[in-house]
Amino acid sequence: MADVVVADVFVELADTLVDDFDMMDFLHVLTERSVQLLGVVAAGLLLADEQGTLQVVAASSERTRLLELFQLQTDEGPCVDCFRSGEPVSVVDLAGAGRWPRFTTAAVEVGFASVHAVPMRLRTATIGALNFFGTHVGAVDEDRLRLGQALADVATIGLLQQRAIHRRDVVTEQLQTALNSRVLIEQAKGVLAERLQVGVDEAFTVLRRAARAQNRRLADLAEAVVGGAEQLAPLDQ
Amino acid sequence: MTIEDVCAVLLAVTDVDGVAVTVTMSTGLRETVYASDRVAADLAELALTVGEGPSLAAATAGGPALVADLTTREMPGPVAGVRRRRGCDGRPAVFALPLQVGAIRLGVIDLHRGRPGPLAREQIDNAFLLADTACALLIDSNDETMPIHHGREPEQARLQHPEVHQATGMIMVQLNVTAAVALLRLRAFAYAHDRRLRDVAARRLRFNRDEPDDDSR
Repeated sequence: MADVVVADVFVELADTLVDDFDMMDFLHVLTERSVQLLGVVAAGLLLADEQGTLQVVAASSERTRLLELFQLQTDEGPCVDCFRSGEPVSVVDLAGAGRWPRFTTAAVEVGFASVHAVPMRLRTATIGALNFFGTHVGAVDEDRLRLGQALADVATIGLLQQRAIHRRDVVTEQLQTALNSRVLIEQAKGVLAERLQVGVDEAFTVLRRAARAQNRRLADLAEAVVGGAEQLAPLDQ
Repeated sequence: MTIEDVCAVLLAVTDVDGVAVTVTMSTGLRETVYASDRVAADLAELALTVGEGPSLAAATAGGPALVADLTTREMPGPVAGVRRRRGCDGRPAVFALPLQVGAIRLGVIDLHRGRPGPLAREQIDNAFLLADTACALLIDSNDETMPIHHGREPEQARLQHPEVHQATGMIMVQLNVTAAVALLRLRAFAYAHDRRLRDVAARRLRFNRDEPDDDSR
């Protein structure tokens, strides 16, 4: 089963080379693959903005409490440590470790017992981190952690589109575009949540399904929703 | 604080030769509202006339266009025309930063420099921060009736907690207004009640036509 999923990841990576590549959907799929491959419960992809603050750009679930947990890590947490050091961070027993008090309290409250973060690296720089949560105390085995790093590397490649990696300006352009795309999606979530009278996580699902059904980029559809050009139906219809 | 102030700081921290600010009107047309000197003004006008170039790319593509040397960049499309038709008035390095908050596209800040080459890491990071300040000023300036800042520094426009952007979307629907107006109303409310944007957004206040009710849910 894992081999099939790994093969899927390769196919998805190849998709990043085509013209109508959907960056935001790709990053979301990667977080979902992480959950499948690593035996964890939740995954989030964070990128650093120009202030060096980590921002959530994609997650395996759009549940607010989960996103909050990722976003909480602005000045403390496994992701911050991982990002600053450029090294993976693993905590197999979150409650017992006594690190990052604020973050640990919040994570344990939600039900998470272990956490891992792997860096998204570009040569000597770290541009972000992939963050995983588990509900059981205990290590993720070596092979799976290696897979986790490989997924982070795949995310970096997809984000920076390898042919242009050597051009620092292009890297900056891509990162800033991804950050703005996330804002776009958040705005669209708000519009849909209010219009359809649903939670923001359900709003995201509506958006994503419609993007796939229409074969459009998530960010493009989000922009159309916010611009008023798109009316999307709720999930049960 | 004004756009002019922001541009003066931009010139200083990025060590470029000229700065121009273009805003996108509700009609979709773009207009130059500030230029640090004659050359900057001419370059901005050229980009608008030709309808191509990094400035337009930044206005429409959702991200910045950073061109270390306009005369040698191989990229086809929006940049090529500007290079072909004219020289760059001796400023071949162009860095176009969009003034945007998600779907709210207010305009672009163009930086021009005579010496080709990229901006240094610190320069570009500071430039983005200053562009965000310019963005905040543009959003807040839409309401002439309210002196909304009350002596406070405007909060960042783009680098906000996600709930602020979600709230923008919700308020748009509640008030049946554009995203820019919704964000302005949210910001005006926060300033008037001396609260942070993220705290206002987290309370999920409902906005009615005149002012929000306090039934947080």
